[in-house]
Amino acid sequence: MKFPPFGLPFRSLSASTAPTPRTTLAAAMEQSRYRLMVTAAVVTTVFATIGVKLVAATLFSQGGEPRQHHALELDSTTTNRADIVDRNGNLLATSLVTQSLYADPKLISRPEEAARKLVSALPELDYKEVYGKLSGDKRFVWLKRNLTPKQQYAVHRLGVPGISFEREERRFYPAGNLTSHVVGFTGVDNNGLAGLEQGFSKRLNEDPATPLQLSIDLRLQHVLRKELTATIQEFSAIGAAGIVYDVRTGEVMAMTSLPDFDPQDPTGLNPDTLFNRATLGVYEMGSTFKIFNSALALDSGKIRVSDTFDAVHPIKIGRFTINDYHSLHRALTVAEVFQHSSNLGSVRMVQLIGIAAQRAFMAKMGFMRPTALELPENGWPLAPNPWREVNSMTISFGHGISVSPMHTVAAAASVINGGVFHPPTILRRQPGAEIPGEQVVSRQTSDMMRRMFRFVVADGTGKSAGVKGYVVGGKTGTADKQKGRHYQKNSRMSSFLGAFPMHDPRYIVYVLVDEPKATAKTYGYATGGWVAAPAVGRIIKQIGPLLDVPTVDENAPEILNATFLNAAGSTNWAQQAPNAPSSAAPPPPKGSTVASFPTPAKPR
Amino acid sequence: MKGKTWLFWGGLIAAAGAVLFQTSYDVQDLEEKLAGLNRKIVTEQESIQVLRAEWSYLNDPTKLEELARAHLALQPTEARQFLALDAIPMRPAPTPDAAPQAPLLGRGVNPALPASVVPVAATPAPQIASARIPSPKLSMDKALERTPVIVPAALPAIPTVKTAPIKPSALIPAAAKPPALPPAAAPAPQPTPAATPAAVGKLAPNAPLPALNRPTDVASRPVAPSPTTKVIAAGMQQPKPTDSLGMLVARLGANR
Repeated sequence: MKFPPFGLPFRSLSASTAPTPRTTLAAAMEQSRYRLMVTAAVVTTVFATIGVKLVAATLFSQGGEPRQHHALELDSTTTNRADIVDRNGNLLATSLVTQSLYADPKLISRPEEAARKLVSALPELDYKEVYGKLSGDKRFVWLKRNLTPKQQYAVHRLGVPGISFEREERRFYPAGNLTSHVVGFTGVDNNGLAGLEQGFSKRLNEDPATPLQLSIDLRLQHVLRKELTATIQEFSAIGAAGIVYDVRTGEVMAMTSLPDFDPQDPTGLNPDTLFNRATLGVYEMGSTFKIFNSALALDSGKIRVSDTFDAVHPIKIGRFTINDYHSLHRALTVAEVFQHSSNLGSVRMVQLIGIAAQRAFMAKMGFMRPTALELPENGWPLAPNPWREVNSMTISFGHGISVSPMHTVAAAASVINGGVFHPPTILRRQPGAEIPGEQVVSRQTSDMMRRMFRFVVADGTGKSAGVKGYVVGGKTGTADKQKGRHYQKNSRMSSFLGAFPMHDPRYIVYVLVDEPKATAKTYGYATGGWVAAPAVGRIIKQIGPLLDVPTVDENAPEILNATFLNAAGSTNWAQQAPNAPSSAAPPPPKGSTVASFPTPAKPR
Repeated sequence: MKGKTWLFWGGLIAAAGAVLFQTSYDVQDLEEKLAGLNRKIVTEQESIQVLRAEWSYLNDPTKLEELARAHLALQPTEARQFLALDAIPMRPAPTPDAAPQAPLLGRGVNPALPASVVPVAATPAPQIASARIPSPKLSMDKALERTPVIVPAALPAIPTVKTAPIKPSALIPAAAKPPALPPAAAPAPQPTPAATPAAVGKLAPNAPLPALNRPTDVASRPVAPSPTTKVIAAGMQQPKPTDSLGMLVARLGANR
């Protein structure tokens, strides 16, 4: 089609070029037909769309608006944070719904009258303070948090405009101080600030319907705390820590650190009470470490329990001199080194084993990193680096390495439970679930260590921990505390690690007392055997029935078969006269491999 | 004809409209009811939570021990109060003529029982004169099924029971030390809570026990003079016993 030159009207051009002349009318008709068709297309599209949407809305969407109300799920809770319960289902922490009172001062026309009314309904409020809040120009002020229903009713009745209630949750700890260090506490807005509340804060908020079940048993917790409190009072100590531990599963059955705090009001108190001595505090454990030294010695295969070691001559290394607390002035067998807690014997044992093996063993026992416990308060051990000869010597009797009580207990459990190290946990293990574990010492070593534990309580430093019927074994520990760069003579950590029943160990009871002062009753001693061991005995006496440990006769043949050990390192109880424990130390057996280490050249 | 058709369709539409109208109002009613129920459920759940918290609070072992020391003559159980099941002599098989004697057995086993009726399997059990047999009603087989390995041989007498108070030391003769468990039984097959054997052994004899032993009683008894309640009530104007949440909130120390 040819276009007309610019400026000429289209009509005249088409009229002149078309073969048949077209009238103005025909052109107009054509134009209006086009317009009609466009209009019809638009209208059809719109109505078709409406029709399709109508069909979709009425037939295919499940009819009408979404429902406003749905039936509640039966097992849901009203709160936004899960409960924490102990292993028997007793509540340790729960959330309660309360109402809090707030005001919008912009809406209050006469602040003095409103304040007067509010103070009359809630006498514990201060008039001046309330008046100040109500006459300010903020849009939101808290007047009082967590009202009781009665108080809420009273405020409602006043009918003061501009004040309203807000539904709030408040964390409540029915067990109070009893589990304060385990459960921890939350802040005003229910965010965890310590303990499990902090460690499991996310889990508690994400799954509010399922309570978090701990391995803690409230009854044991009570017994433990009661006895620790009594011990602290008796010896005027500054603190104490205690753990009851299941050696077969790695569950912490009870854990206390004193002084403790009220989880409802943790901030108003001495910050020292918030310190968890059982997991966060790392201490030089003293003689309890001879457990691991002996286990290392026996497990290496180089040393047998009847081997003797020189415990007469002090060891000099550098500027240090290592000596015994009570020297017996003779050579001791491994059993006697453990029984009398001889430092010299321990050092000579580790000298035979070697530094590298000792370091590897301590790492295997978990003393190089925090424990697997789920609490956020989990202390890093202080291990020497590099691990020199002098460190190796002091570590053999528990100085020069600082670990938490939880480290000690978990490692000791692996020594006596058949040699399997279970990572400690504060959550209840599901029955039937596989318990993670790692073989760290052999069964034979573990069996011998049981006998040594029993030997200490039957005839050693831990006699006062014995409880008739529950075959108790254990090891005492006394460590001088380090203040600054020096050890202090009269401030020490006394501890006892007890286990029962020793023929088939099930539970460890550990007590650590911080800076006990000797009393007349203990003849001036404040060592582990005098302070912590009696407490452990009292605890075992009370928790044995609760834990359903069968009582046995300690002198029955099958029990002696499993637990007997004498000072010479013999496990044959039949040779010994029954009921006559080796009171006077027998001479070291002749003819046995004497592995005594050459004494230092310079006797002092 | 055309009029009738219109009438039919018109009627049908009107009926459908009426039914729809009715249904929509019914639904609205039900929705409101549901909302009300939901509110009630939430309230109930909240009060259940409060009651559970209060229950745990009142069951705090520390408080229970104080109360027990103040009001009961009970002591913590000790190891010597437990005996292996093998140490307890068997009851004779129930014969028809022995039935009237059964209640008497609650006091102790007749030491003169013929050895043939004592069906102890391997070890001849020492005769403990005053060992209590758990239940006079149950046959020994059933009692065995129910009783775990440990059976309390002697429990301190509950003061409210009508029997004369028996000193625990009197119940165990010096000769009757707990004998050793056989190796099979030694590693305690079932760790059952110690309360179970105690409950079986304690409550069964002399059946009509006063209601004192129900756990709720201690909590609900008015213990006004006890110092513990004062501690609870401190900081709040003497909350009524029913005002549970009030009591708890008062304890929360949140009324600052």
